[in-house]
Amino acid sequence: MLSGGDKSEKQEKTEEQPQPDPELKVAEKEERPQSDPEVVTEKEKPSEKPAETAPEKEAKSETPDEETKEAEKTEEPIESEKPVEKTTEAKEEKPQTKRSDSMTLLEGREVDTLTRSDITDDFKQAVIDAGAETLSICFQCGTCTGACPSGRRTPYRVRQIVRKSLMGFKDEVIADDSLWMCTTCYECQERCPRGIKIVDIIKIVRNYASQAGHMAKAHKMTGSFVIKTGHGVPINDATKALRKSVGLNELPPTTHEFPEALEEVQTILKTTKFDSLIGYNWESGELE
Amino acid sequence: MAFAYFLGCIMNNRYPGIEKATRIMFEKLGIELKDMEGASCCPAPGVFGSFDLTTQQSIAARNITIAEDMGMDVMTECNGCFGSLYETNHLLHEDEDQKEKINTILSEVDREYKGEVNVRHFAEILYNDVGLDTLQEAVTTPLNLNVAVHYGCHFLKPSAAIGLDDPMKPTILDELVEITGAKSIDYKDKMMCCGAGGGLRSRDLDVTLDFTREKLDNMMEAGVDAIINVCPFCHLQFDVGQTEVNKKYGTNYGIPVFHLAQLYGLAMGLTAEDITVDAHQISADPALAKLDEITGGE
Repeated sequence: MLSGGDKSEKQEKTEEQPQPDPELKVAEKEERPQSDPEVVTEKEKPSEKPAETAPEKEAKSETPDEETKEAEKTEEPIESEKPVEKTTEAKEEKPQTKRSDSMTLLEGREVDTLTRSDITDDFKQAVIDAGAETLSICFQCGTCTGACPSGRRTPYRVRQIVRKSLMGFKDEVIADDSLWMCTTCYECQERCPRGIKIVDIIKIVRNYASQAGHMAKAHKMTGSFVIKTGHGVPINDATKALRKSVGLNELPPTTHEFPEALEEVQTILKTTKFDSLIGYNWESGELE
Repeated sequence: MAFAYFLGCIMNNRYPGIEKATRIMFEKLGIELKDMEGASCCPAPGVFGSFDLTTQQSIAARNITIAEDMGMDVMTECNGCFGSLYETNHLLHEDEDQKEKINTILSEVDREYKGEVNVRHFAEILYNDVGLDTLQEAVTTPLNLNVAVHYGCHFLKPSAAIGLDDPMKPTILDELVEITGAKSIDYKDKMMCCGAGGGLRSRDLDVTLDFTREKLDNMMEAGVDAIINVCPFCHLQFDVGQTEVNKKYGTNYGIPVFHLAQLYGLAMGLTAEDITVDAHQISADPALAKLDEITGGE
């Protein structure tokens, strides 16, 4: 970060010793008076000041530590100019994920590089076959992530999930907790310049995550309520009273009122093996 | 005109005033609402769609077959139910293979999805079938409220499949709201999600509340008297979630929440008790008091 106090201090220092240290040219300061003089020096293009930058290089290699430190401390204004070795080094050290570190979801997350061995063959095709036939035309523009209200407050990155699915990184993508931060609001899908059915992809990938056991207890509970009552949010005594108070039947004319209808729902849930997916025990009525 | 009335879960099992207001309103409008006896959860798209799409489609298709037996289009007042049922109906209508797969499952309970009815949203029926003019005539108590309209996500999106209105800058709900005399106030990021969907509310309440707080902030900034929604789950999020936001962040939001059906209920002369807003966690009194200024508290 640029800080006013540091800057003036450095400037003074620079002025005191103009000759012995050629990299700290006072003259250069005049060109960009508002920047930290040391950074300006380091970033100067040879073409602009050939005479002065020649000795600059030498001097730099003599004082690498100091240089690197400065570069680290300083926000670099122009990244594309002259990739001096030390500067690159300093950049790499700058922890890009610092801001996200504070988010709980990132804790304990592996940062290892993914390799070919992480690819699950046919995962991409499986996602496509399951209904996301638009997956393969993604060109990674990032509009989805930019539009995502969840990505603004969590480590959830839609573009990454689409990319990883496209690459076949199944294990990586289904174990990622942030996969569940999507509210299925469709902001990404509405803006996708390729018309990719992004929410479908998220849901299909979540299906694979669920098959592998990555399911939240609270979600399984909602599933178990439907198995038991036919409703994800079943009636309670307070609402029964409220319904009665406005002249409605205490029970709505749903599976709540028709037990044979509930049996139908239960048969379907058994047929699709949803009960075993969430580990529902029919005898105890609890989750295993 | 008649519809198969799909209740879902949160409306009938938590906010029965929405159901009550709708039944009275449709009676006044001369539209028959027939109960879908034995219907279940839509099922909840966040959990069922995420866990197993085949299960989600099977349960949704079963609900649709009830309406098919009645020979009527389905009407729902919940964006979540609309999303779950509409998407399934759309998919099975277009995809013969998937239809066959789901019908094999439904055959276990002697049902068959045929693809004969449409799934419709309450607000869209009001706009397209009833019409603003007829609605205007039904308003007996014009409402002098400034309101924040919350569209929710699954009413208009995915727009490629639903195609009801521009998903970025829609007007359908604003027009419906303003027929009651209320004024729809624009606010920052109006189309943003309430934060409850996709299973997020039950999975990570903190993140959900962060969404909700941002929306409430933006609504407060615009100075509204109430929030109007067309989804009981968004409704719950703005009612229960608002108290949770206050608790978590030490804020003091108190913006009354009305489903569009409840707003119409008020405009047609129903009382706060009729539409059960007196049972909301967030008091509706500030909005009701403002209404009393013009009605003289009648």
